Amino acid sequence: MSNARIEGYARALFEIARAEGSLDEVEDELFRFARSYEGSEALRTALTDDMIPAGKRQAIVEDLLGGKATSTTTQLVSMVVGSGRGRELPAIIDQLVARASSAKNLEVAEVRSAVALTSDQQTRLTAALANATGKQVNLKVVVDPSVLGGIVATVGDTVIDGSVRTRLDQLKARL
Amino acid sequence: MSALIRIAHLIASEKTPHQDSEGITTSSWIWPEKAELIYGVAASLIIFAMLFKFAGPAIKKGMSARTARIQKELDDAAGDKASAQTEAIGIRQAKGDIGAERDRLLADAAVQAGAMLTDGRGRLETEVAEMKARALADIETARGRSADELRGEIARLSSTAAERAVAESIDDSTHQDLIEAFIQKVGASS
Repeated sequence: MSNARIEGYARALFEIARAEGSLDEVEDELFRFARSYEGSEALRTALTDDMIPAGKRQAIVEDLLGGKATSTTTQLVSMVVGSGRGRELPAIIDQLVARASSAKNLEVAEVRSAVALTSDQQTRLTAALANATGKQVNLKVVVDPSVLGGIVATVGDTVIDGSVRTRLDQLKARL
Repeated sequence: MSALIRIAHLIASEKTPHQDSEGITTSSWIWPEKAELIYGVAASLIIFAMLFKFAGPAIKKGMSARTARIQKELDDAAGDKASAQTEAIGIRQAKGDIGAERDRLLADAAVQAGAMLTDGRGRLETEVAEMKARALADIETARGRSADELRGEIARLSSTAAERAVAESIDDSTHQDLIEAFIQKVGASS
C-alpha cells in the first residue's frame, strides 16, 4: 500500500475518533491492538487471508475486541480489515498515533515492559522521558514478556534500554 | 639229374616221326619242319627289324619320357625331402626360438614386476605418509573445532541457564524495582 493510502486511512480513522470525542482512548487501544497484531502470526494470518470472507474477518475482530475496547476502536479496526487492508493495519495505526501526537505537539514514546505499568508509573515515566529528551511525549505502553524485566523506551530515534533482556544479550555476546 | 637225362633222351629221339591226334605225321614230335623253321625265323627277323625300325623310336622315346618322369618324380621327392628337412630344421629352430622368446618374456615380466613392486611400494609409502599428515591435520582441525564448538555450546547453555534463572528470579517486586530504577535513572538524566 502506498504511503498516500496509508496516510488517507490514518487521517480517516483520526477524524472519526476525534469526531467521536474519544481520540486518546481510541488511539491508545489501536496502538495496543497494532502491537498485538504484530506479535501474533495467527492473528495476522486470520485477518489478511483473502480466502476468508470479509464478513468473517470482521467477526473475528469483533470477537477479539468486543467488550475489551471501545466500540469506535472495534468498528475502525473492523472497517480496515473488511476493506482488505489488514496487512497495513499497523502502519495505518502508527500513522494515526503520530498524527494524534502531532496534533497535541507530543512525540510518541513507545515503552515496552514485561509487566503493565501503573497509572502513577506512567505519569512519572512520561515526565522522566520528557526531562531526558526535552520533548513532551505521548506515552504508549506495550506489555512485552520478552523484555523479561525493566523497560525499553523509544522516543523518535532515541532508544533508552533498561531491560533485562538486553543485559542478558550483552552477557551472551561476552560469552 | 634224372630230369636232365630224360630231356637228353627226348632230344635224342627228335628224329623219330610223330603222328598227332588228327593223323598228321611230322618228322619230330617237337621240332617243326625245316622250311617252316626257316620261314618262321625269317618272318620273325623281319618283324623284329620292322619293330626296331618303326616302333623302336617311339618305344625308346616313351621309355626316355618314362625315365625322365621317374627321374623327375625322384628329383621332386628328393626336393620334397630336402624341403621337409629344411622345414623340420626351421620348426626345430622356431621351437627353439619360441623357448628363447618365452624365456625372454618371462625375464622381462619378472623385471617389470620387480620395477612395479618397487614403484608401488614407494608410492604406497608416499601415500601413507600423506594420509598420515592429512589425518594429523584433520585431528588438529577437529580438535580446534571441537574446542570452539564446546565453547559455543557452553556459552549457549550458560546464557540459556542464566536467562531461565533470571526469569524465574524476577518476581513482581523485582519488576517494580526495575521499573522504578529505570524511571529514576531516565528522570535524572537530561
